[in-house]
Amino acid sequence: MAILVSSARREPVPRRRAPVRRTARRSLLHLVLLVGGLIWLFPLLWTLGSSLKSDNGFFSQGLNPLPDGVHAANYSNAWQEASFGSYFFNTIVVAGGTVILTLLATSMAGYVLARTKFPGRKFCIGLISVTLFLPHGYTIIPIFDIIREIHLLNTLWAVIIVQAASGLVFATFLFMGYFSTMDRGLEDAARVDGASFHQTFWRVMFPLSGPMLATVGLFTFISAWNAFFVPLVFTLSKSNLRTLPVGMYAFLGENSTQWTFVCAGSVITLVPIVVIFLLLQRYFVNGLAGAIKG
Amino acid sequence: MLDTAARRPRTSGRPAPPARTRPRPGVWQRVWAGRRSYLYLAPLMTLLLVFVVYPIFGSLAYTFYSWNGIGSPQNFVGLGNFRQIIHNSIFWESVEHTFIYAIIVVPVQLLIALMLALVLNNRKLRFSAFYRTLFFLPVVASPAVVGVVVQLLLSNFGDTFNSWLMDVHVISQPVDWLGNPTIAMGVIIVVGIWQTLGYNLVYFLAGLQTIPEEVYEAAKIDGAGRLRTLRSITMPLLRPVGLMIVILAFIGSFQVFDLVQVLTGGGPYFGTEVVNTFIYHLAFGGTMNQATQPDVGLASAASFFYGLLLIGFAVLQVLIFRSIAKRRGGAERA
Repeated sequence: MAILVSSARREPVPRRRAPVRRTARRSLLHLVLLVGGLIWLFPLLWTLGSSLKSDNGFFSQGLNPLPDGVHAANYSNAWQEASFGSYFFNTIVVAGGTVILTLLATSMAGYVLARTKFPGRKFCIGLISVTLFLPHGYTIIPIFDIIREIHLLNTLWAVIIVQAASGLVFATFLFMGYFSTMDRGLEDAARVDGASFHQTFWRVMFPLSGPMLATVGLFTFISAWNAFFVPLVFTLSKSNLRTLPVGMYAFLGENSTQWTFVCAGSVITLVPIVVIFLLLQRYFVNGLAGAIKG
Repeated sequence: MLDTAARRPRTSGRPAPPARTRPRPGVWQRVWAGRRSYLYLAPLMTLLLVFVVYPIFGSLAYTFYSWNGIGSPQNFVGLGNFRQIIHNSIFWESVEHTFIYAIIVVPVQLLIALMLALVLNNRKLRFSAFYRTLFFLPVVASPAVVGVVVQLLLSNFGDTFNSWLMDVHVISQPVDWLGNPTIAMGVIIVVGIWQTLGYNLVYFLAGLQTIPEEVYEAAKIDGAGRLRTLRSITMPLLRPVGLMIVILAFIGSFQVFDLVQVLTGGGPYFGTEVVNTFIYHLAFGGTMNQATQPDVGLASAASFFYGLLLIGFAVLQVLIFRSIAKRRGGAERA
């Protein structure tokens, strides 16, 4: 911080010395950020390296993230013997289902709340706002009961629906904010062209909300992929429905010695989500900047 | 509920065609006109009412029964569960642990995130998007995986964190990181800060980007230095977003579960039990691998009581912020 603070004050001093000092300052800042960032990511890098270590290497190399060889067998063992393969597919089903359900429910609701008038609109917005501030984690017992009543216990549907329900409010607000900033003329133009209400939404407004669909979809995907509490509760008696995070937790409890498997399982859990995030991350900041302004 | 409201006008026939000089249409006409809106709202409202709103009241019903979760509740105990919770020392310890967690994590994390955001928001800084990605990445890691990896790093076998600390003479003998309640709580706090910092970094960056560049240029022309600009321009303009960030950070911290469950399971001896792990253990049985009989009624009472505490806290928070905003606003106008 001190580095930054001093710069503006010194602006009027002779120009010629500035570049050297500025370059030095910049380099130092970059060095600090880069080293800090690597230390910040050390646990993840160590996991990646350790997933390739041999059993002996895991013990002898300790904190060294570089593996003693490439023991890819850790991965095939984790995938097959430790069931991470089936956990992986469960997780894809859960995360994908949660994203689809969330996007449909919240984009439709966000649209009508932002752009149409009807009695009860304010009441709905009020109800939704209130639920944002109610702590949601503590209602798991009645939710468990509802799921049992509608005979979805021990299915992945239960995980999808309950997981989606937990993130609805925030996503609805994001869509409301996004739709309310769009040009009023859009609907009029669609109506002049003879589009019905449904066509206006599905052919015009829904496609135009692409960036927000990406933002909400990304947030929902990450939280559903990583979700622990909901899939833990709803797979307690069905181990073959476990998602990756629950599988990791259970694996550590059941086989507490195969550390390289654990690291390989961690990498299997982490890599897809990291890749997706890296590809789509610009939607994060862009989408949030728009939403937080509102 | 909404559906029937939308349907009712249909039975009474379509509303009469409005006269050209139209008075304000009646409520049922407006409901009928908005029927498609209700249709589009229905999926969201159904999910919210069934899985968010109803469970809040549903859990209230269970609190009056002593019930192990099998069959239907029969043993009515009135307010007995609440009495039991209020006198349960482990419950109060778990509340205390949760508040300690939140009260340390939120300020430390927001301070680091804000400082980092201020550095990375500099338009002239190259690779700033790359650095943002570096510091954001732990957010996308599953807390369960993080908990497992941290356990491996801190464990006492092989050449791990302990032996490195001994090599550099910070400690003289291995520390039992997760075996000592106080140290284990510290580990949970540090990992909690590390893991969720990225969200706040992105929120702050988004907030900073809402401040128009011209304001900074104007400040520069007026001869304001960096520190002065930070204090008089950036901070005040960031306040509305900042308040939201603080509230969200507290809400998140009070719901901490994953990290604690994976790292310590609330142990040793309930030393790191937070409210959500306490409720989980009550409702689904099994504390520290020993199976206990679930007590859904008591768990519901605990969670309902904690919900009330949190709502009280949220109201308090809003009131405090409002009074700060009012005082500041008054001062600026004066």
